Amino acid sequence: MPEIPDDLNIINRFKNGDVLAFEDVVMKYRDRIYNLCSYMLGNVQDAEDAAQDTFLKAYRSLNDFKPKASLYTWLYRIAVNTCIDHKRRPFFESIFRRSDTGEEMVIEHPSTSPSPEKVYDSKQIQDALQEALRKLSPKMRAVIVLKELEGLSYEEIADTLDISIGTVKSRISRARDDLKVSLKDFTEQK
Amino acid sequence: MNCSKTHKLISPYIDGELQVRDREAFESHIKSCRACSRAFEEARNMLHLFAHGEKFKAPYGFSTRVIANITSEKAKGFSWIPMVTRSAEVLVLLVIIFTGIISGTFLSDRLMAEKKTLIRASFFLDIFEPTPPDSLGGVYLAMTEVGDEK
Repeated sequence: MPEIPDDLNIINRFKNGDVLAFEDVVMKYRDRIYNLCSYMLGNVQDAEDAAQDTFLKAYRSLNDFKPKASLYTWLYRIAVNTCIDHKRRPFFESIFRRSDTGEEMVIEHPSTSPSPEKVYDSKQIQDALQEALRKLSPKMRAVIVLKELEGLSYEEIADTLDISIGTVKSRISRARDDLKVSLKDFTEQK
Repeated sequence: MNCSKTHKLISPYIDGELQVRDREAFESHIKSCRACSRAFEEARNMLHLFAHGEKFKAPYGFSTRVIANITSEKAKGFSWIPMVTRSAEVLVLLVIIFTGIISGTFLSDRLMAEKKTLIRASFFLDIFEPTPPDSLGGVYLAMTEVGDEK
């Protein structure tokens, strides 16, 4: 597999007219952006649409990107805003994306565990995680997904969402309290 | 440290955000308070679930579709055609609206003029035809006139 160049190299190539450099951006960040969109939206089709939109928006404005920010926090910012906008779509646009029960479809994930019992457990946990995230407001969900699933630091989250570190801390703390209630069946001490 | 403050510090403690003094006070309280210790363990268990959350990978063909979208957007570039089409649509709509207004006004003027004539005519007795002399009514009128003369 060819080595993907560093972000600064990619950006400089793009700004010098090498539009193919954007392919490297997509190759490098597609999984992270798709993962973020999946947890933000909880729906396979919406996640792909939002991730596609994210890269299209990034392509349009990469020439204006200031290298003092990191490329991935900039991409995450576009992705979070795209997901929040996606959630605001009118009812008639999203109705066809819902399951028969009216609930949003939970993403199916491939099993990696050998025992069937373990597969069932991990799927149950995964569904519960996504259901718990769905109950959070988009702003709270964004901080939790960036912190717990993308592993960003408080500073990086603050940069990504353009909020203060204090706000990041308080949102994370409140979101964790809410999640603890939603996930109590899995976290309570017996 | 009391239970309320300890509860608030669970999240920063887990993230390693506490100063030494707060951290020590937190740990000391957790050791002695069963309820706070339980809340702390539950918070850690919850984060453990996230640590094992699925890492979704972009589906097969994702990058190709992104690049195809970008290429098709570039190929389209700026075009006057959508603008011209939209202007033509607006123009046709305006023509339909004005035609409707003008023909409506014209028709209503004509109808009103006819209606006014009919109303005016209804106030005159000219609309009644004189009774012909050889008709039954005419004979009756002639007989009554003769009787009156007598």
